[in-house]
Amino acid sequence: MVVLVIALALFFDFTNGFHDTANAMATPIATGAIKPKTAVALAAILNLVGAFLSTEVAKTISGGIINEGPGGVAITPEMIFAGLMGAVLWNLFTWLLGLPSSSSHALFGGLIGAAIVGTWSFGAVNFLVVLSKVIFPALLAPAVAGGVAYLCTKMAYGITRRSDPDSGDKLTQKRRGFKHGQVFSSSLVALAHGTNDAQKTMGVITLVLIASQLQAPGTGPHIWVITACAVAIAGGTYAGGWRIIRTLGSGLTDVKPAQGFAAETSTAVAILASSHLGFALSTTHVASGSVIGSGLGRKGSTVRWGAIGKISLGWLFTLPAAAVVGGLAALLIRTGTVGIVIVAVLGLGAILVMFYLSQREVVDHSNAISDVDAVGEALHIPSRKERDRLAAKARAAEKLAEKAARRAAETAALRAKAQAALDQADTAVLKAMTKAAAAADAPKPRKKQTSKKGK
Amino acid sequence: MQFATIANLAANTANKAVIDWKGFIVVAVVTLVGAGFVVLMYSLGVRLTAISSDHAARAHTTAKWGAWTCFGLCGLAVAIGIILIVPLFYKTVMGWFGVTA
Repeated sequence: MVVLVIALALFFDFTNGFHDTANAMATPIATGAIKPKTAVALAAILNLVGAFLSTEVAKTISGGIINEGPGGVAITPEMIFAGLMGAVLWNLFTWLLGLPSSSSHALFGGLIGAAIVGTWSFGAVNFLVVLSKVIFPALLAPAVAGGVAYLCTKMAYGITRRSDPDSGDKLTQKRRGFKHGQVFSSSLVALAHGTNDAQKTMGVITLVLIASQLQAPGTGPHIWVITACAVAIAGGTYAGGWRIIRTLGSGLTDVKPAQGFAAETSTAVAILASSHLGFALSTTHVASGSVIGSGLGRKGSTVRWGAIGKISLGWLFTLPAAAVVGGLAALLIRTGTVGIVIVAVLGLGAILVMFYLSQREVVDHSNAISDVDAVGEALHIPSRKERDRLAAKARAAEKLAEKAARRAAETAALRAKAQAALDQADTAVLKAMTKAAAAADAPKPRKKQTSKKGK
Repeated sequence: MQFATIANLAANTANKAVIDWKGFIVVAVVTLVGAGFVVLMYSLGVRLTAISSDHAARAHTTAKWGAWTCFGLCGLAVAIGIILIVPLFYKTVMGWFGVTA
């Protein structure tokens, strides 16, 4: 049983790497900073290295969320198996549909669901720890990363903006220099991904070992666990990369090198800092937050709130949905050995079906190169052409307004002239009248009429 | 949920900090300062490269050196960050300065 769980956990790690390669490497490949093959290999190696760097997150997961040990409930490897099954299935399902979702939340959701159903009590889950170590980081970390990315993008554009002080002409800005920086910043994201996401699987495996009394509670993961997880996530990353390369021909969201650099730097720093403190946050969410933040930092961008709403709905659903799947699996497993076999067979079948479906489906721009890329669609950043067009429209409107104003002025002037002429005519009539009164009486009214007509 | 568990939850909330605000603030500040510094240095470097390539006739040696200094500082900041995070590196580097952790 333990071996089965570990195998499933490693498979989850593999899907995780598979899912998330694009987060780190899509932009530098798109801007042509690195060759696709190099990028994927680099991401895989850095994920491997990152997995060894820190084990804080693994400790968070293996100790805390589920009340194990004395005084708590007995967590069996079967429950963890059910939870992992929920996580893997949900992960593959969202990947198939191209929905943005977080592997981490799928994992937590599955485990929580399985623990609740497996013990028939809510006491199995330490909701406070879930709240403080999962929900809050999930909400706050993207916000922090997004805010910082916004500031950094503003700064990067502000510093590199150059124009001739005399003529106001634009000088060479060399913003393409950020392309080379992106190689490093995206490598950092890959490294950060290794430090956070590979840890989650380590935590689960350690949890299994603790649950089956092969390891003392409260200790960190073994070295062979770390190695296995690192290799699994690196393998997944490498395998997932080939999908990106295939996708490359079909165009990507417009992310400029300077913007990408700012976003990736903030993502990497945020994830590394929270990994160091043991916050298990979702790399997908943080990267998405950064992309939105840096997009806002660019000139004239607007937010498509509808798209953002759809994405956050997907985020919200991940945890409960995986919990339901995990719970169902746990329910089946409660029936005994037969249940385990049923769950294993069903799970394997579902995985194979989904894999088959994914192979059949054409990978193109519509099913999103990455979750983060999908988030990029939520922002409307006007391209140069669009900006020019907007400016032209504004100019045209201005001209129209000017013309209208001129016409109004002209009519006003005309009216004034007419008024003046009328006055003149009146005075002329008066003069004529007095003159006529002095001379004779008869032609008085006719004179007035003609003078009015003449005007 | 049973009453006992609710009572347990309530009891736990009373004496335990629910959210690790300190950790969160640390993450926020570190992110702001770290990412801010790296982006600032890199942008300055890019700008100085642009200046140094402005006039082909005159070589802008100062700007060029400035640019490379900025890039260097940027890399240094990243290196320091990684050293701080990895316990093994941290111990090694502290060892160079004669500090044993």
